Amino acid sequence: MQTAKTSTTVTPLRQLALHSTTTCSSHATAYGKCILAVYADVRKDSCKQEFEKFGQCLREAMKRKW
Amino acid sequence: MFLLQVVARHAARPWTRAFASESSSSFPPATGVYQVFDRAAKRKQRDRAVSRDAGVGSRTVDYVRDEVADRMMERLLDIRRKFDTIVDLGSGPGHFSKLLEPEKTRKILMIDSSETTLNRDQDEEFEVEVERVHADEENLLDVLPRNSQEAIVSCLSLHWVNDLPGVLVQIKEALKPDGLFLGAMFGGDTLFELRTALQLAEVDREGGISPHISPMTDTKDISNLLSRAGFTLLTVDIDEVRVGYPSMWELLEDLRDMGESNAVVGRRHFLHRDTLAAASAIYKELHGNEDGSIPATFQIIYMIGWKPEPNQPKPLERGSAQTNLKDVL
Repeated sequence: MQTAKTSTTVTPLRQLALHSTTTCSSHATAYGKCILAVYADVRKDSCKQEFEKFGQCLREAMKRKW
Repeated sequence: MFLLQVVARHAARPWTRAFASESSSSFPPATGVYQVFDRAAKRKQRDRAVSRDAGVGSRTVDYVRDEVADRMMERLLDIRRKFDTIVDLGSGPGHFSKLLEPEKTRKILMIDSSETTLNRDQDEEFEVEVERVHADEENLLDVLPRNSQEAIVSCLSLHWVNDLPGVLVQIKEALKPDGLFLGAMFGGDTLFELRTALQLAEVDREGGISPHISPMTDTKDISNLLSRAGFTLLTVDIDEVRVGYPSMWELLEDLRDMGESNAVVGRRHFLHRDTLAAASAIYKELHGNEDGSIPATFQIIYMIGWKPEPNQPKPLERGSAQTNLKDVL
């Protein structure tokens, strides 16, 4: 079926989507919870530490740097 | 010298009639009507959305528009009148028009600014005669003569119009006296989850925000706009369609396939992958459902207005009631 073909095409964005929701989901949750705790007063790098772990996990899973 | 320059600048600009008059508080922009949306970009996005994968993706994401078209049809069926022709403004492939039956109208005239979207579906899928016109919704009076139409409907297209007051005036002008306008458009709280998730992610990661979700019309402004355009016997109500997605990524993909990508003038054409990943995490924690999926809210404003005619029913004279409301309530 045509839908099956299109949905399995792996683009970098699809990979990012996959890894941010599955491979690195625990780091994503930790980061999300941190933002949730401060969301009324967020400023730059409010959750820097949590995001660094999340970002590190994503970079390893994607096998590339950015 | 200065005066001369000013005169020259005015002469260089062709005089055009703007259908909406500017409010005094805003600085008069050079283009007549304040441009919020990039209409050319929007047309391209919608063309591409239909061309991608031979329209498979576009058909998959019909669910929001089909649902709203269905709810709008209930409102049309409440109106006991048979029309000769109904104009579907911003019809898309005809989500609303396909639901029309021969008992309600003889013919449907579909107008849309995206040609591929307009021609996506075959005539066989419609139960009534179809005519398609590829034209800009913002210049409706270029394709429809004044006082010519019995009914104009618009299902989920007015949220990309720059000059909403002007388009409503044009709709009223194109209608015959006692003509019907029935519309549905996305309203203020649409996609508020995505809006807030992206804002929080951008502030935390980049230290600032930029427009990703369009500014949308507030519900309470619609009745003002309709009466300002000259409609009478107004009915405005709101409704919500909530859709669940596995994650923010599927929502973004579906919005793209709907042709509903960002088209705000001055938008950023680039979103850093860190920001996107952050937004996905925030979306889930801030708005997510218990089962791990995420909701997206589409707020719909339905509106009905009639072009004035002397014989239309009117409210009775104040104080002419025979029954005391106290007895009824």
